[in-house]
Amino acid sequence: MIAELLFATFFGLLLLGIHRKVIARIQRRPGPPVWQEILHMLKFSFKTTWVPNTASAALFVGVVLVAIGIWTAALFVVTSGGSLLVIFAIYMLHKIVEHGFGLSSGSPYGKFGGVRSVISAASEIPLIVSVAAIAIFTKSLLISDIVAYQTLHGPLLLTIPPAAVAMYVVLISKMPFGPFSIVESKELVSGYKTEHFGVWRAGLEICNGLKTYVLLLTFILVFAGGLPFWLILLAMLLITLSLSFVCALSPMLSPYDSVTIQTIIAGLMVAYVAILGVVS
Amino acid sequence: MKKQHTLALTLIAAGSGIAASALNMMHILPDWACAGVLVTAFPLFVLGLGLYWMAREGEADIPFLGY
Repeated sequence: MIAELLFATFFGLLLLGIHRKVIARIQRRPGPPVWQEILHMLKFSFKTTWVPNTASAALFVGVVLVAIGIWTAALFVVTSGGSLLVIFAIYMLHKIVEHGFGLSSGSPYGKFGGVRSVISAASEIPLIVSVAAIAIFTKSLLISDIVAYQTLHGPLLLTIPPAAVAMYVVLISKMPFGPFSIVESKELVSGYKTEHFGVWRAGLEICNGLKTYVLLLTFILVFAGGLPFWLILLAMLLITLSLSFVCALSPMLSPYDSVTIQTIIAGLMVAYVAILGVVS
Repeated sequence: MKKQHTLALTLIAAGSGIAASALNMMHILPDWACAGVLVTAFPLFVLGLGLYWMAREGEADIPFLGY
């Protein structure tokens, strides 16, 4: 389990590094090396660290522990074939964590990042709608059951492609430099993580690596079924490349536009699932 | 934060994580219990190790309030 955890952390960070590199190359910049996010995590571990004077110390430190803890739990839930609802709950908890990051430091930039995290909660609705669409077909929300269903009936990606698109939008909203990355846009310095530097930021980087790995793994298991491990890693890489293209070619939206578009997607998905429910 | 405390935290977290994994591999500890220990121990290990290296014991700084 420890090896699994370390592999997920470093592979997730490597995917984020590839994401940055691809975006840079599309935009005709040299970009950082692909292992930049791993170096970032190590670099921040060696930076001087303290808690700001204005911070709520318990929340400031505790939220980093919770951030790493929830995505560690998510990894074990996915790899053990646990419930999709738990993954959904952890995804919601991450929203609260972002909010906690922003509010704990006392910095106005962090607070704005935390507030934006709350107003972009519309990005969760497509996730629960795609979970509902999956449940209609598989009659179960256990990932192991969903994988078993696909072994018999073929990938859900072909059966319910709109649900896959909805979850893909969720992935976009969680990738850095994307159209929905309003929580850490440059006018807020680094958004909710502005004041978390040094070891705290290293912890946040680990959380980001785990989160990327878990979300991509969940997407593959739920919509493509149980693949050999090397093929899962290849699929993760391909999905990351596609996300990088989307992020590189689309501007970051204003908070209002971001929420509006996510709400429209959520509305379309609700209509789709309602029709699906009536037809089946 | 005192370095001795962070070192103790790191060692306890690492020790409990490794012990849980070892017991799990010997089929003494069930998977869910091992996962539970790692979910708690991994964040403590990460922060404890980093703080042992770089935590300051002096005064805190003011946050970034703009240019």
